[in-house]
Amino acid sequence: MNKQFTIAQKIGLMFRYDEDIPQDMEGWIEHQLQAPSPALGIAKTGASVTEWPDELQPNLAKRAGMWRRYRALKKQQREGKNGQDTEAARQANRHENLMQEKDEHKFVQRNAYGADQVKLRLTSFWANHFTIGNTFDTGQLIGHAIDEGILAKLNGSFADMLYGITTHPGMLTYLDNVWSAGERSEKAKNCRRKPDCQAGLNDNLGRELLELHTVSVSAGYSEDDIRAAAQVLAGWGIDFGEELSTMRKRTGSNNHWNAYKKQWAEPGPKKVMGQTIYAGRSGLRQLTDFLASHDHTINHISIKLCQHFVSDSPTKAQIESIKSVWHQSNGDLHAIHTQVLKLAINAPDAKFLWPMTWLFQVVRLSGATYFKGWENTHNYNNKLMHTKKVFEELGQSFWSLRQPDGYSNDKAEWLSAEMFERRVRFAEAIYVNGGTRRSANKIMDRIGAAEQTRALVASVGPSPKDQFITLMCSPELMGLEYV
Amino acid sequence: MSKLIPGRRNLLKAGAASLFLAGVPIAGLAKGKPPGSISVIILEGGMDGLATIPPVGDPDLMRMRKAISPEGYLPLNDFFGLHPSLKFYAQLMARGHASAVHATAFPYTKRSHFEGQNMIEGGGLSPFSEKTGWLGRALDLADVAGRSLSLDMPLILRGHHENDNFYPASIRGSSRPKADLVNMIAMGHKMEAAQIFTKVARKSEENVRVPRDPASLATYAGRAMAQADGPVASVIRVNNFDTHANQVEEGDADAGRLARQLVVVDDVIAGYRRGLGKAWDDAIILTLTEFGRTVAVNGTWGTDHGYGSVGLLAGGTLSASGVIADWPGLSKKDQFEKRDLMATIDYRSVCAACLEKALGIDHDLIASQVFLQPDLPRVFDHLFA
Repeated sequence: MNKQFTIAQKIGLMFRYDEDIPQDMEGWIEHQLQAPSPALGIAKTGASVTEWPDELQPNLAKRAGMWRRYRALKKQQREGKNGQDTEAARQANRHENLMQEKDEHKFVQRNAYGADQVKLRLTSFWANHFTIGNTFDTGQLIGHAIDEGILAKLNGSFADMLYGITTHPGMLTYLDNVWSAGERSEKAKNCRRKPDCQAGLNDNLGRELLELHTVSVSAGYSEDDIRAAAQVLAGWGIDFGEELSTMRKRTGSNNHWNAYKKQWAEPGPKKVMGQTIYAGRSGLRQLTDFLASHDHTINHISIKLCQHFVSDSPTKAQIESIKSVWHQSNGDLHAIHTQVLKLAINAPDAKFLWPMTWLFQVVRLSGATYFKGWENTHNYNNKLMHTKKVFEELGQSFWSLRQPDGYSNDKAEWLSAEMFERRVRFAEAIYVNGGTRRSANKIMDRIGAAEQTRALVASVGPSPKDQFITLMCSPELMGLEYV
Repeated sequence: MSKLIPGRRNLLKAGAASLFLAGVPIAGLAKGKPPGSISVIILEGGMDGLATIPPVGDPDLMRMRKAISPEGYLPLNDFFGLHPSLKFYAQLMARGHASAVHATAFPYTKRSHFEGQNMIEGGGLSPFSEKTGWLGRALDLADVAGRSLSLDMPLILRGHHENDNFYPASIRGSSRPKADLVNMIAMGHKMEAAQIFTKVARKSEENVRVPRDPASLATYAGRAMAQADGPVASVIRVNNFDTHANQVEEGDADAGRLARQLVVVDDVIAGYRRGLGKAWDDAIILTLTEFGRTVAVNGTWGTDHGYGSVGLLAGGTLSASGVIADWPGLSKKDQFEKRDLMATIDYRSVCAACLEKALGIDHDLIASQVFLQPDLPRVFDHLFA
């Protein structure tokens, strides 16, 4: 591939079939990192690309209101009241009040149409690092966490992103923190006096904060450190289904992203990995700042960044250079990202692509309209599957129920017949149902495909469909090596 | 291995489709078809063994975890009960076709899902020490093929390149890939990726359709394993056992998340039974989980990560039912680190016994080459005597 497409493949989503190709790639990267990032998409098939409407991007308060309404109607449905127990009413409730399918649809459309391809790749990396799996009650929140907790914070410090995502209601719900209470908290004390009252510590988020989000097991922390981190976290967050009045009463706040329940908090200072953390709301920021600048955190995440963007088997020197920028810049994400991208475009080796990244690239290169417009998120279409279903079948989605360690950055984890069969099938489905605007030959001319790729595509005969499938499943387009 | 004998990898590269089928002996290495089959159900998240097989005879049980102990349990003997969700499993027990091993774990005590899952699948001496899995290494020793019924290739089966995974696609606008086309694509790829595309082509020729829920997949796996040239091993994954919150429903200890997940496990075992047919007599099925859960209930109707748990075994190869345990007790002083059920039986020994029964390999060979622990205790006689 020519230089522009080689770079766009590694650190972006490829230039769309009709997009201008920049000459100055370094300037382009800097512009990509800084430019505003509207969510682009289409209202319906054939419509021009515009920004997603505001009403489909509700804030947290609106999402909470929809969630309460969803649950109230669900209750009526169970009780057979107000005509809610019909299939039509059940569907209407889901479509009107649940955000998960709409959010996933928006994420997918902006990846297909967005002008901010580099930011979108970085967003996926961090959204995966800070995985919020879909346990249904988090479905209402995952999209908001990705947009406001990750994408909006790409140019700040890692410490800000860490604190923001740790306190996001999506994370606090996914890892059970909204139900956790300090062992010596007022809540736990009161509870002990009542029969059938449960209140106590849940260490799920404390554990993953250390193990996955920051220092990793290499830091050699103890079970006591995990418990202490959980005690620092106790009190943060509130069940998203609670009435607003209850939230105000317990937290003194109207904001779900700043909900701290004093009664649930553990009194007194705590010690996490040798660091004393003071009691109260500000203790968490103290803890996440301490963890954000820890050597083991920097090492752990530098390796992950390298493996995701630079090379399937990164060298020590590459990892060290990211660590060094991280230290020098005090964890400034813009500086860190710039260094990662620089390494990526200078690394000669192929870089394997996640299934979702590959799918977006196939759609962009070919100009296919493979996803429905936002007016039709829930409508049946003979050709285009529900967006949610596409990614279920692909085997990768940020809206699936997944483990908190997220999707692997290790190529070996993705090499299987079933996963490869999906690539063949999706290449076909996009060709057959997506109304592709560019043939395999046109695409190869535009990207400056390698001789081996041209030979491989020629070897399968004259069928344009077979040629398209072969091109998209070639080593060059999958980020793999040639024979 | 003698250099004159072509390895399977080379045969595969040569593209002779008939040689890819399971259990085809290679001259000079032939061991014949193993005596039985082995199926592993991986319970992700850490199953609460104390609620699955509650030790109702231990006075500390109700003292420590009254709120979440199932009330409608089925008494198995004076000491142990069975969770009411495991109805089919209970029938198997009555017929002598199911057993449980209690207070057991892999030797991993640090309570991380990811390290723990890596341990129970990799079967190495420490987390992340092995790039291959214990079942894969055992199949390699026995020279047979396995199949995984999920979209990813689990670590447990790696180490044996004849393994295959299976989770049928349903993609509008796509049809079964043309084997010729995929074989052409394979020729453009290097080593590993080329082999995988070749496998895609081969599977396409097989053209089988199965439903995708765990129980139906188990039935499919059972049927496949029952065939004369079918796979000898299968793996099914069931997730959602990480019951930090709402392990039971408030006020009903027989309902809730764990109860629902155990129904899935029960259905999977029933699915295997259905699919295996006569081959049930030579089959062993066992569950695996990364750790058990705390003895005490946490503040959110659930339990946190622990250590010892329970392993469920089923299959016609078992000759008697029972709960095999060297019971450590539940009082604070008996707990591991004053919080978890202690493990008194190394679950690797249980896996080794199942491998010995199903694949007909010597325990010593399994201990040293599969689990890399030559002095691993042999518990075969306790399970299959």
